[in-house]
Amino acid sequence: MSEALVAVETAGTDTSVPAVSGARQFWRRLRAQRAALVAAVVVALLVLVALAAPLLTALEGQDPTTYHPSLIDSARGGVPIGSLGGIGADHWLGVEPQTGRDMFARLVYGARVSLGVSLGATLAQVVIGVAMGVAAGLGNRWVDLVLSRITDIFISMPLMIMSLALLAIVPSGFPRPVLVALIISLVSGWSTTAKMVRAQTLALKNLDYVSASRLSGWSTWRTAVRELLPGLAAPVITYAALLVPANISAEAALSFLGVGVKPPTPSWGQMLTSADVWYQAAPQYLLLPALALFLTVFAMTVLGDGVRVALDPRAASRLRIGTGRKREARAGTAVPKPGPAATEATQDATQDVVPDATQDATQDLVPDAVPDTASDAVPGAASKKEERA
Amino acid sequence: MRQPSVIARRVAAASVSLVVAAGAAACGPEDSDAKGSGGDSAPHKGGTLTVLNSEPQTDFDPARLYTSGGGNVPSLVFRTLTTRNRENGAAGAEVVPDLATDTGRANKDATVWTYTLKKGLTYEDGTPITSADVKYGIERSFAPELSGGAPYLRDWLVGAADYQGPYKDKKGLSAIETPDARTIVFHLNKPEGEFPYLATQTQFTPVPKSKDTGTKYESHPISSGPYKVVKNENDGEHVVLERNTHWSPATDAERKAYPDTIDVRSGLDSSVINQRLSASQGADAAAVTTDTNLGPAELAKVTGDKELAARVGTGRFGYTNYIAFNPTVKPFDNPKVRQAISYAIDRSSVVNAAGGSALAEPATTFLPNQKSFGYTPYDPFPAGKSGNPAKAEELLKQAGFKNGLTITLTHSNDKNFETSPEIATALQDALKKAGITVKLQGLEDNDYRDKIHSVKTEPGFFLAHWGADWPSGGPFLAPIFDGRQIVKDGANFNTGLLNDKSVNGEIDAINKLTDLDAAAKRWGALDQKIGEKALVVPLFHPVYKRLVGSDVKNVVISDWTGVLDISQVSVK
Repeated sequence: MSEALVAVETAGTDTSVPAVSGARQFWRRLRAQRAALVAAVVVALLVLVALAAPLLTALEGQDPTTYHPSLIDSARGGVPIGSLGGIGADHWLGVEPQTGRDMFARLVYGARVSLGVSLGATLAQVVIGVAMGVAAGLGNRWVDLVLSRITDIFISMPLMIMSLALLAIVPSGFPRPVLVALIISLVSGWSTTAKMVRAQTLALKNLDYVSASRLSGWSTWRTAVRELLPGLAAPVITYAALLVPANISAEAALSFLGVGVKPPTPSWGQMLTSADVWYQAAPQYLLLPALALFLTVFAMTVLGDGVRVALDPRAASRLRIGTGRKREARAGTAVPKPGPAATEATQDATQDVVPDATQDATQDLVPDAVPDTASDAVPGAASKKEERA
Repeated sequence: MRQPSVIARRVAAASVSLVVAAGAAACGPEDSDAKGSGGDSAPHKGGTLTVLNSEPQTDFDPARLYTSGGGNVPSLVFRTLTTRNRENGAAGAEVVPDLATDTGRANKDATVWTYTLKKGLTYEDGTPITSADVKYGIERSFAPELSGGAPYLRDWLVGAADYQGPYKDKKGLSAIETPDARTIVFHLNKPEGEFPYLATQTQFTPVPKSKDTGTKYESHPISSGPYKVVKNENDGEHVVLERNTHWSPATDAERKAYPDTIDVRSGLDSSVINQRLSASQGADAAAVTTDTNLGPAELAKVTGDKELAARVGTGRFGYTNYIAFNPTVKPFDNPKVRQAISYAIDRSSVVNAAGGSALAEPATTFLPNQKSFGYTPYDPFPAGKSGNPAKAEELLKQAGFKNGLTITLTHSNDKNFETSPEIATALQDALKKAGITVKLQGLEDNDYRDKIHSVKTEPGFFLAHWGADWPSGGPFLAPIFDGRQIVKDGANFNTGLLNDKSVNGEIDAINKLTDLDAAAKRWGALDQKIGEKALVVPLFHPVYKRLVGSDVKNVVISDWTGVLDISQVSVK
């Protein structure tokens, strides 16, 4: 589990922000972070490229699986003929060594695998994690104990080894991308989500409006769906946003190890594994998928962090929205709803010791002056930030 | 009856750079002077030759080594009754006398073989080599604790099937007679005209009974060759050989032994070996490798550099990569389907996937394209350079598959340029043009090998490869096509499950021949006859390209092993 993920486990804990007005506020806060905005644009482009892969390759006039033996030098190990791996009007990013398959087509189709598998895995992780977490949080002592121990077992499982073992025993008839997504989600991600959701559920459970719902005789199911889920949305979205890049890396790693999606379906991880020996003779073969993977994971991580910050009420003070507007915004939307002091305090403590990779690193190291109050209500935080800036 | 080729098995396990003929089986070779330098004066005597290898020289005991032709490094220490001719190309695939005065004298039906030792042969301590020592060396290889060699001796010698070696059974093998100190006679239970090839293996090395230390013998085997072992660390990972002063070049026409010291360092990554050889710095300038080929990417780099290109040696080891059918699995029971697939194969894309035209040659025959195997060119289902999908579709229609066909191709997930996903994908692409949809079933390598070599689990359509223990048609064809070698429980190599009386009979008839040239011609004819049954689709024969250090001279690469022969190399 990356540090960033641990960090968000406690992020956005003041979830009392009403969902409807929260959406508008979320966008404003996200827009205020330039890096997150750029990342969002990059991610949107990547998704668009993945969706439009057949269109783009049709535009280029190529497809990802056709061999072009005439474009490679068979006597020299199959290195692409021409400069920069055979880049030209017909093959925008050149061709693959040994096969002559079009690199551009393979890259954009590879984006489908990377994004599809990772988004699918994230969805499954969120669904399982929320279900397990809410059930543990709302269930009685025994349900909680059993579910929490199951979660612990999955947390302690080594992802790569488990995935390799599982992928080796599943019959080859099973659709491979679905299988990879399922295995990534089952083996990792959901368990930490479940822990976070459980903690959050326990905190929300004692709030007046939830208590009211339970006391008025609504079923646990209805309470969970109507009262808890809106409150869980912010931390879960935050968490999911950071799971996506982790899942992309996991898919690439599995493909790199030869147990991911099957050829001829292109995947970035698989391209990397074939390309590693070619780094001197045909560097673009290695660089292109590596760059695509890096760009995607980086953009997803920055965006995920932006989402985290935007959903974190305490982070509002750190955003460069402008003091005046920020105060207005806060007055208008932030409904102070003090959580139980104890939970808040522990969560703050956790957050403060976790180093954060992004721009708020410095802020996180500053202990909150008044831990048991919602921190964005403390004007001091804002002024401190401005002094540093 | 088992006749698996250790080379075939080990190659399957080899990694990216096609580490061929691992360790002991590292073969020995003859030469292709790739240096092209010409005008070499007499080779320089002395110096240290470094060998950079991936596979260690494990179990460095003549009883335990599984070699083709006595191995490369082992052959520096162990002399055998016969050995490989240390010449370039086809001449190097011939068997020549070593300790013996000739390659063996057979009785009429090739069941009794007699050898006479040369005069003046001694061990590294100066004591004479006797025929009883050769007999003792063979007997020890039957001891369970010294297993590892090829199974031929147990299969061929009269009454040897249950022999447990000289430690348990002091009486010894009655199938081997030593009427005097220089004569040794072998009694076989069936005609084996190729016995001289077998006599090149290290089990035919003399071992003095008084010096035998059982399983500890491998740390210091008594040398009969030009070098003796002075250091052996980590079970063959680092072996240092120095000159054996009691070796007499007058009795050894094959080994040149120019350097004073051979320093064998193993356990290296193949890319590291090629990197060090291309840099050729310090001691690496006088370095060679006996088990690491250039991969396609490395070749692309090397061929762009004149200096490096001049240091590449090219060799061919008799080897075939092919598609195997299991005719008991539908639809491969229909010969028309097998023929259709044969026609649809695009050998140029397969060759590219295997590393390109410099590292693989398209194959239409099961026998390797070398004279000693009896290579007879034929192409029963001509697919041309890139396949004949129209003909394939026509055959499929006749077979009743009007709307195409969907089949599963089983392969290994290892990146080995042989049975890899890359080869499978290239085939998939080619068959698509003939309306054949190929689903790929990639298995973990051990799983893959277990499955294809068990009659019970053998898939219908899979990638396979075969290399022989010596360069002849016998060990190449018999294990794959002799119906009596179908193994119901255990490792089966007759994957086409062919049990044809006329084929079995011809194999027996050729084994009676002691004229190896005549035998080769008949192996070639038999290969063609079997080929027409379309039980396999030959894909390509690999070509080995290997770098040598910049100070290495006298590179000799034979068709027997395809790699340079250490015994011929000199260093500046």
